[in-house]
Amino acid sequence: MLPIVGYTNKLTVEPGETIDVMVGSFGAKNYRADFRQIIQGDTNPDGPGYKDKLIDLDLGGDRRALDKPFRPGSCVLIPGVHAIEEVRDFTLAAVVKPTLLDGRKRSILALPGFAEIGIDEHDRLTGVAGGQTLTSTMQVSVDHWHIVSLSYCADTKALSLAIAQDRDSTSEPPCPEVVTVSTDLSSGRPSECIIAASRDDDGELTGFLDGRIDRPAFFDTAIAPETLRNLLADFSLLRRQRSLLGAWDFSRKMTTRMICDVSPYQLHGHIHNAPTRAMTGWLWKGQELDWKLRPDLYSAIHFHSTDMYDAGWEVDFSLTIPDDLKSGVYTVRLVPDSDEEAAYYCVFAVRPPRDRASGNTVAFLFPTCSYLAYANHRLGMDVPGTEIGMGRAVELDRHHMFLQDNPGIGFSVYETHDDDTGVFHSSRLRPIVDMQPKVKSFLGGYGSNIWQFNADTHILGWLDAIDQDYDVITDEDMHEDGLRLLQRYNVILTGTHPEYYTRNMMEAMQGFTDRGGRLMYLGGNGFYWVVSFNEDMPGIMECRRSEAGIRPWEPGHGHFYHGFTGEYGGLWRRNGHPPNHLCGVGMTSQGFDVSEPYVVSPEAENPRAAFIFDGIEGTRIGDFGLAGGGAAGLEVDRADLAQGTPEHALVLATSTRHTDIYLMTPEDLLDPTPDWSGTQADIIRADLTFFETIGGGAVFSTGSIAWAGSMAWNGYDNEIARMTENVLRRFDDKTPFEYPQC
Amino acid sequence: MARYQITDDDLPFASEFLAEPIGYHSPGLQRVLNRMRGADWDFKYVLVVEERHSKWRLGKLPKQRGAKVEMVDGVVYTDLREAECDIFKRRWSDLTGQDLEALLPHSS
Repeated sequence: MLPIVGYTNKLTVEPGETIDVMVGSFGAKNYRADFRQIIQGDTNPDGPGYKDKLIDLDLGGDRRALDKPFRPGSCVLIPGVHAIEEVRDFTLAAVVKPTLLDGRKRSILALPGFAEIGIDEHDRLTGVAGGQTLTSTMQVSVDHWHIVSLSYCADTKALSLAIAQDRDSTSEPPCPEVVTVSTDLSSGRPSECIIAASRDDDGELTGFLDGRIDRPAFFDTAIAPETLRNLLADFSLLRRQRSLLGAWDFSRKMTTRMICDVSPYQLHGHIHNAPTRAMTGWLWKGQELDWKLRPDLYSAIHFHSTDMYDAGWEVDFSLTIPDDLKSGVYTVRLVPDSDEEAAYYCVFAVRPPRDRASGNTVAFLFPTCSYLAYANHRLGMDVPGTEIGMGRAVELDRHHMFLQDNPGIGFSVYETHDDDTGVFHSSRLRPIVDMQPKVKSFLGGYGSNIWQFNADTHILGWLDAIDQDYDVITDEDMHEDGLRLLQRYNVILTGTHPEYYTRNMMEAMQGFTDRGGRLMYLGGNGFYWVVSFNEDMPGIMECRRSEAGIRPWEPGHGHFYHGFTGEYGGLWRRNGHPPNHLCGVGMTSQGFDVSEPYVVSPEAENPRAAFIFDGIEGTRIGDFGLAGGGAAGLEVDRADLAQGTPEHALVLATSTRHTDIYLMTPEDLLDPTPDWSGTQADIIRADLTFFETIGGGAVFSTGSIAWAGSMAWNGYDNEIARMTENVLRRFDDKTPFEYPQC
Repeated sequence: MARYQITDDDLPFASEFLAEPIGYHSPGLQRVLNRMRGADWDFKYVLVVEERHSKWRLGKLPKQRGAKVEMVDGVVYTDLREAECDIFKRRWSDLTGQDLEALLPHSS
């Protein structure tokens, strides 16, 4: 367990900039903080040893550790409703399709203290107003849209709850069930409207819905259900109703936090905790698959009680990065109750100054998009088959136990929500407990069993061991600054698994290599999935896994275009930027048990590759390592002309066998037959690849996540580390590479 | 229920696993392991890290997200291969009702 956790408001910060630290206690009484540079995070006794460096920066003494809860759950908040006049007659209405009914009370549409439509513990619709509760006989269903309303007419004293289930498989119009009581309600002046949640007596949000809501509306008259159905189906008709107080069209400003009221009152609001927008609505019947072309059909929001964007913890303290601090990976370390073993690490990058180059010619690209994609992932806990893919038992480290106890921390894009729909969003505005040094993982292979950030510290440790000066830049920096930032460097080194890329990032990196930059892709399964940032919500990332790829869920038909940007989601290979074109290789297989050496190929004899093999003997390289015992493994990439590998690329070495845990990717396995496995299929391999670019640049790709685990073997004194250094030295020499003549 | 049921015919694969629990396995052993390591929450054993790289306790993972990991009292490992072999034997017993050590007396 973790007695203390925390996060920072940024993952990249420049010298002179201030960064906020939020700390939450989960058992700790006090804590003290210090500031360190992370050099090497793997604690495997067979590895080079854990190493960090204390930075002399006073972060204050002991502080009290305060309990801070996670409050997941998304909704829409419409403030300022009190601006409209006193309400006596009214109708509240919405179209709703729940996706999880599990005995919890849920709210659909609430004017707290005035009226509310919800779902009770028995899946029945409820309407509450003036102390009266109406309950439908009909149960709501996860299979259908429902047109629901609660209305009151002072003249007849009728408070009515109506529900019509839209069974679109029949030609009959939805037939409403109406429950009515006679009551004398006093008029009211609600202060806010909440969609998909309500408030408890303490004012905290509660009753979060798992499901989709479309076109909620509020009128100052009682409207019959039959009339309401036609009104809700036509926004142009709806907005002309003189009785309309508010109607929220979720298809407007879809890429933002904003929720638009189409009534003249303009009671606009905003989403809370980033529910999923650009989702098929009540009237979508497959007419269009791109929400940009028919946004009116994408007027639903999918809410989840497990959505999490911003933990919203109060700031405990801030620190200003010293002006002279060199770029690197740093951490605010939180030591609870003087227990160093229980320290929590808030990791972030100190990038070089924005307005001037540091002078370093080598940069490590800190893959924050991929860290976000895996942030707080639960693959070994939620997905039982993970153990098969690991080829051994799941290890649960302390942070995994914390995740198990605190699912409210929010998920990675590898999880499903409680309603079994995929998690499209991951945010950095919350503790990311697996983005720490020392922690073990599920997928890191027999040996160190570390993944993403901690595995990438094998590369940081190697840079330190060879005394290489370097800057650290993040995916977010590259997304924002593009080639303006990358052009400062001769060489960019990736992490072990830079899998998630935005379009800006792909184009910046391609522009870098095209114009003479040198890329060292020291990983596997890189440049694979399309992700997007949201210009209105810093720190959150979207991934919709359309059509293909190894994926834990698929987004559902009609949901292949990102809500944040409108981009088509899925694999870059299907979106005009195949990884093979950028780096020569592309994802071909995965297995998380053991890794293999590479067998040197005849192409290694080509004089173009002589500098790579300087001082390296033998025909098998990398028959050792901390990630599965070999340099080729975990996730492996192949060179493939058909996927965009340049014709002049040299495949220098190849892994020639893997265990039968390694199978084909779905995008390549069009016709499944039982021979596509690691001991049988040549296509399952890691290809060590090199090629020059037309602009005098060059690319060196390992096509293997396990590579860095071999670099770190024997205290970085081995042929894999040497080869990597050979490449780095030549790549850092500005002398242009000669593009081979065909 | 999984289609593949483990029987005495799989004993050779048990011997194979206990000799080398990590790495390359015959197709027959892989099928046994798939049965043991798949989506059956009755025996979803996990290794709870007590000290990284040196000490693990045996636990059972609950199906429900957020539920407590059930610890198996008194079971501590100091070697991952030893842990794999012990979990294999426990699952063999869970699936067949038989004591693998009695069937393969030279396995431990």
